[in-house]
Amino acid sequence: MIDVAAVVSQVRRGMIPAHVYGDPEIFALERDRLFARSWVYLAHESEIPDPGDYVVRRVLNDSFIVVRDEAGTVRVMFNMCLHRGMQVCRAEMGNASHFRCPYHAWTYRNDGRLVGLPFHEDAYGGEDGFARQGQRLLPAPATGNYRGLIFASLDPAAPKLSDYLGDFAFYLDFYVNQSPAGIQLSGPQRWRVKANWKIGAENFAGDSYHTPHTHASVVEIGLFREPKASKRKEGALYQAGPGAGTTYKLPPGGDFASQLRYVGYPDAMIPAMAKTWSDQQRALVAESGFMVSAATLFPNLSLVHNWPQIDENGTVRPFISLRQWQPISATETEVLSWFAVDAAAPEEFKKASYKAYLMCFGISGMFEQDDVENWVSITDMATGSMARRLNLNSRMGLAPDGKPLKPPIANFAGPGVAYQGFGEYGQRHWLSQWSDHLEQEPAAHQATDLGVAR
Amino acid sequence: MTTHKPLPYGDPAHQAAHQFLVEEAALLDAADYPGWLDLLTEDIRYLMPVRVTTARGAGFSTQPGMGHFDEDMYALRKRVQRLATDHAWTEDPPSRTRHFVTNVRTFRHDDGLKVESALLLFRSRGDTRDADLLSAGRTDLLRETTTGLKLARREITADEAVIRTQNLAVFL
Repeated sequence: MIDVAAVVSQVRRGMIPAHVYGDPEIFALERDRLFARSWVYLAHESEIPDPGDYVVRRVLNDSFIVVRDEAGTVRVMFNMCLHRGMQVCRAEMGNASHFRCPYHAWTYRNDGRLVGLPFHEDAYGGEDGFARQGQRLLPAPATGNYRGLIFASLDPAAPKLSDYLGDFAFYLDFYVNQSPAGIQLSGPQRWRVKANWKIGAENFAGDSYHTPHTHASVVEIGLFREPKASKRKEGALYQAGPGAGTTYKLPPGGDFASQLRYVGYPDAMIPAMAKTWSDQQRALVAESGFMVSAATLFPNLSLVHNWPQIDENGTVRPFISLRQWQPISATETEVLSWFAVDAAAPEEFKKASYKAYLMCFGISGMFEQDDVENWVSITDMATGSMARRLNLNSRMGLAPDGKPLKPPIANFAGPGVAYQGFGEYGQRHWLSQWSDHLEQEPAAHQATDLGVAR
Repeated sequence: MTTHKPLPYGDPAHQAAHQFLVEEAALLDAADYPGWLDLLTEDIRYLMPVRVTTARGAGFSTQPGMGHFDEDMYALRKRVQRLATDHAWTEDPPSRTRHFVTNVRTFRHDDGLKVESALLLFRSRGDTRDADLLSAGRTDLLRETTTGLKLARREITADEAVIRTQNLAVFL
């Protein structure tokens, strides 16, 4: 039996027992104590624009149908037939007015209501034997929506999503709220990597230190020039609410519009950002001079915003990606990677931004390729006995007394706390939440009796 | 316009197309990527849609607006340049690959030859990891040029919705 308190106490002092990146016992704890409670991202409304549109997504092992019903309401329903437990929906996306179980033809409307139960009278004695009225596919215990991002929690007592997001929403808006139209998502690309899911989540939360070396090739070929070490360490690393992320320092002396132009936004998009973002959000770009890059919302949703060169003429275009580290086991993760773009952006920009995305991130992305190589390799090393004798140092940016080496950035326009220079602040912020979850006993849940006569 | 019947196997055009694909596979397995780029036309489109699991009646089985690859010559050149640096870690040490090309069918096309093939890519990395197998169909457009046949368009149809390899730092 694993000593959770001992593992957590190491993690809290910035020392990570290496086996947590490949340990089935840790994985079981994450399932029962973290994924059984936390808000987890499922889908974006733009993926299901019309009534009947659905996608099937998971919270760890639990499959949910995320569907827009005939009235336009988005529903998140456990994908298990109430009768014998068959998957009700076996496609991953589509449009349906009803979901009919192939086993015995129990049929559910796309709002989850059970409307078809063959031989109800003969087989069950009608409503008295099996109360069909009011039965529906089990809804996710809690759901929330932030600017079209649909989340679920398996904990019926979860805090409201907006309370959970807290100060991180400020930073999330740079990715998902560039205009009143919001974003539209394409994808996801899905692929499996033999890596522990935490490594990617931590990396996006604050690892600016890896960029100059891991991604040296991308700088060398002139695809994206910013990750040079001298440039990268000027970026701010922020931690806010359940999230944390990295930024790049923008050229000195620029105003709001010129900074957005610098990262490749066309003039047509800038007024909407100026109007949609708050004074404080504009000030992060203009006065503080930082542009968001990678970020992670605890536990397993990451975001990235970079601005590579997309053609021979040196045209720079930014792209946004949302990505989820979907745990399969202690040593395997399914990556879901979406391309996101302002729905109101000019078509030409959308095309260019998509090209920028594909060159950099996703299964073929020239950044992502080298990231995953590292993560697979770490996981490979973490499963043995020796990994139980090594605590990895995650104290970058801390003095021996546990205080930050440098004070936080003064007058930083964003909420939370931010530091300049290399440091594992974001990763520790993420790991601290991970520790909070692992320390809690799993919640007891009441089972639902289906169809028992009232 | 494509004619619907494939050319007979004895047809010199089919034989040339088949040989092109086999020679191309040899270049890829030898990681001779500059040599591979020489087989492509300047206006190459290199596509790999994302396959999705949909109901039989859905009428589509690819993710709209999203690919694993959607490349022009600039993008492919950058990829090849990157692999030639000393810092493309994911392919250093390199993968051992074998591109198995079979089921080749050639059709006459207004713009050259349309060639369908089946591809099985074996990829092995390191000495402790399981090897990956990627199965795909390919539809190519081969164009006759002054320097011989060249690939003008390739659409790769993956046979999996969730790809089982750590990345596509390899070409299919």
